[in-house]
Amino acid sequence: MTQNLDLTDIQGNIVKAYGSSGFFKARYLFLRVDDGDKGRDFVGAITSKVTSANEKLKGDDALTVTTNMAFTYAGLQALELPTASLVGFPSDFVMGMSKRKDILGDDGPSDPKYWDKIWQEKVHIWISINGKTSDVVEERYQWILQQIKATGGVTLLRGHCGEDGNGNAVDDLPYQDASVLYEKDGVTPTAKEHFGYTDGIGDPVFDGQTNNAARVIGRGKLTRSGDWVPLATGEFILGHVDEAMEYPQTAPRPDLLSNNGTYMVYRKLHENVGTFNKFLDEQSKDYPGGKELLAAKFSGRWRDNGAPLVHTPDNESKAEWDKKFAAADDATQKRMLTDFTYNEDISGAKCPFSAHTRRINPRGSLEYGVKDAFHTPGALVDRRRILRRGLPYGKVKDETSDKGNHGIIFMALNADIKRQFEFVQQQWINYANDFKQGNDKEVLLGNHSSKDPGKVVLQVEPGSGKPPHFVNNIPRLVETRGGDYFFIPSIGALKLIAGGLVDPT
Amino acid sequence: MANTSGKATALTVLSPIVNQIIDGKSCADITRERCYRLPIHEKSPLAKVPNTYLARLFVLDNVYYESLTASDSIFNFSEITSIFSDSARLKALPRKDQLKSKYLVFSTNFHGDLDEYLTGMWEKWSYDDNGQQRGVQHIWEHCVAFDGVKDSSSFISYMKRCQLDATLFFNGSTDDSLQEQLKSLYLKQEFSKFAAANQGKSAADLQQAFKVFIEKVQPENLDQPSWVPGQSTP
Amino acid sequence: MSNIAGKAYAMNVITPIPWYKVWLNRLIFWAALKIPNVLNGLLTLSLIHYARWVIIPRDKFPRLDPSQPKEDLNYSYMLFFSNFNGSWDQYVDSFTFAIPSGLDLFWKMNVKYPKSVPLTPFHNYIQHNQIDTAHYYNAYPMAASNDVKSAKNVKKALIDFNAASSNKSPDEFLEDYNKLLNQLQNDFGEMRPTPIVSLAAQAVKERVMEEQRQSH
Repeated sequence: MTQNLDLTDIQGNIVKAYGSSGFFKARYLFLRVDDGDKGRDFVGAITSKVTSANEKLKGDDALTVTTNMAFTYAGLQALELPTASLVGFPSDFVMGMSKRKDILGDDGPSDPKYWDKIWQEKVHIWISINGKTSDVVEERYQWILQQIKATGGVTLLRGHCGEDGNGNAVDDLPYQDASVLYEKDGVTPTAKEHFGYTDGIGDPVFDGQTNNAARVIGRGKLTRSGDWVPLATGEFILGHVDEAMEYPQTAPRPDLLSNNGTYMVYRKLHENVGTFNKFLDEQSKDYPGGKELLAAKFSGRWRDNGAPLVHTPDNESKAEWDKKFAAADDATQKRMLTDFTYNEDISGAKCPFSAHTRRINPRGSLEYGVKDAFHTPGALVDRRRILRRGLPYGKVKDETSDKGNHGIIFMALNADIKRQFEFVQQQWINYANDFKQGNDKEVLLGNHSSKDPGKVVLQVEPGSGKPPHFVNNIPRLVETRGGDYFFIPSIGALKLIAGGLVDPT
Repeated sequence: MANTSGKATALTVLSPIVNQIIDGKSCADITRERCYRLPIHEKSPLAKVPNTYLARLFVLDNVYYESLTASDSIFNFSEITSIFSDSARLKALPRKDQLKSKYLVFSTNFHGDLDEYLTGMWEKWSYDDNGQQRGVQHIWEHCVAFDGVKDSSSFISYMKRCQLDATLFFNGSTDDSLQEQLKSLYLKQEFSKFAAANQGKSAADLQQAFKVFIEKVQPENLDQPSWVPGQSTP
Repeated sequence: MSNIAGKAYAMNVITPIPWYKVWLNRLIFWAALKIPNVLNGLLTLSLIHYARWVIIPRDKFPRLDPSQPKEDLNYSYMLFFSNFNGSWDQYVDSFTFAIPSGLDLFWKMNVKYPKSVPLTPFHNYIQHNQIDTAHYYNAYPMAASNDVKSAKNVKKALIDFNAASSNKSPDEFLEDYNKLLNQLQNDFGEMRPTPIVSLAAQAVKERVMEEQRQSH
């Protein structure tokens, strides 16, 4: 049965990724609440422009700019939510991201002490602006500045690293800009990030999100019969039944505060582009398949078009896939990108166990080919999914250097930060027992240490007599530069918060 | 009875603790504190007891009262009678149990024969407690009738009197001797490093390097080099 | 106290079981061992080193001396001990997701057992009946049960290869060596200390280590 969602009540960023609807520019603001009364007035003012999931994003009369809002635990305290509501939030959210650094592996250069200055501030409110052009983003930004002035009681926090209007590095920007990357022509938008990979292809699909069954293939959950069905809504939105057949336990009281809301993980991830390019060049010297195949082995997808390794394990099969892909219509292309499982590659010979896509979503393959071992093939996967809602930030000026400000604003949405995001980060990215690979971390996102660099094994066909390939001396390729955990309330709940009307009794 | 799975053995011991107070402390609390204060990992006395895979100690203070969790899964006649009579409702509530003694629970998984294992416990168990060497007696000292334990044979018969049989023992690992397991782990770690470091070498160089490697790691020598029991860092 | 030793977590759960159902429970366990499929899920999960269920009939709590009061209990008790890899949540979740019917089978006869799905009543049931461990020892804190099993593979393959191939000509040696690596390609994961699965447990461990450092 398909779930009916109250789209007018759910914030728009939860149901759709704006970036794929033509909103190529974004700006993220962080504010501190100095006065509860005025702070709530400010929340009320912004709420009038908060984008719901019901708004039209594409077509003639569609929006050109969106606004969304979320709060840290300290923010909800500052807005004077009743204690009986506050105690209902889960401890991961209460602690916030920097205190979870040992769980997340934010050590060495990712340690919170090196984060952008803004993360030393008391971050209470997150506001995002997504726009189809920079101009509309700027316009909405100015409108928000007016609201800050009009209500008072909140301070826009400075301290983001980036560049000023003249391209000089600064560390006190009042906002974080983000943008899709463009082709060399500077006008054609891409879905790529700074290492050259295509991002966000395999985002999960949940019940009520889409009526298009084709979009569920490879993105929902795998059933015993081999079909794909949407994940339970409650994995991503509070107040709905989840994969354990119950309402998410992370919801605070009252229901009107939590229903149709969710949790967001915001992370600013710097990409060490110079190190990555050098590492890839060096490692591919001894790699028989060449540089692009090796880059694909790191991620699970080829850099140029996102072709999944499971169907394109070598240059020959890739060339054939490319031909088909080029000739296919849009729907078929999408299907070619997502319609596969790792059960087709249980040995890892095509897509290794260390590959990013395999680590973050093992696609029902944790039964390791043992027939009917678990209740469902996705039993260990379906409750570990996250919606990714990020965009790249910054520009790479020198492909041989790590310096500068460029990376990904990673935003993950889930009903339970600990069970979903933190689990994937800790157990599947920075550790590999579930993949029977000991402590070997994922190549791209793993918190490899310079003292003790990591290695991974690229599996080959079992019984072929060929040795597997070892990728050695993996450096830290991605560093955390900031972030926190946020609660994204429903629009109805925003109004309750703004009105001081939250009543958990 | 299923205390063994191949050569892996499960021992479950519940030793009643004397219900007495010494210097303002109950014997159960004294026992519990002694367990807390045992050094961990390589320094645990259990690291010295041959063939111990994994083992634990705790004090069972009482059993729990099951008032919390609901059950509606099985038709229960009392649920119908409860509607009409409050005394029937009360009768249908779970009974409340209360233990009269507290028990020191020792649960261990080891390789081999029980008597040999218990002999090893009696003879090898030792640890440093703020400068004082302690034997296994220190933990069991306040258990009922333990004062009769004087040597390994009386220790063995004492532990057997406290032993409970497992209904099901699940072995998700191996039943090899601990030395064998530790040597294997050592070899796995060292050979992984070797294979990664020697990738792409010429056949002759590789063969030479392998010979040196085998001399170093001595695969069939269980004594050394190897990991030590409880080894917590590489 | 700590329920964690390296990559292993010690779980102890004690639950009442009506004395007249004990035989049924024994039958179920007996059957579980005879029918390989029941344990299939457990083995595939591969998170457990060793686990056991112990049933204590209500009149069989060890009594060692006439001075020890005789227990007078309404129920018999089932003790469950597990040594598993990962955090409490991960373990309990994995079990309920992967083998809900197996769990229900093992605990079916217990008083007020809520069934494994939905999750929260089961979580609460385990938590309600769990006893913390005072001292936990693990002979290989850096190894998961997967690693112990994999290491056994490595040792045997390495010894066999050394005996058969170390003295062959270099080219033949290389061919056999490549076969060896191919055979062991999923046994090369490095073993390091566990990632910190619980901040509270980590804090306790660090205090204990600090105390032990100071006392020497």
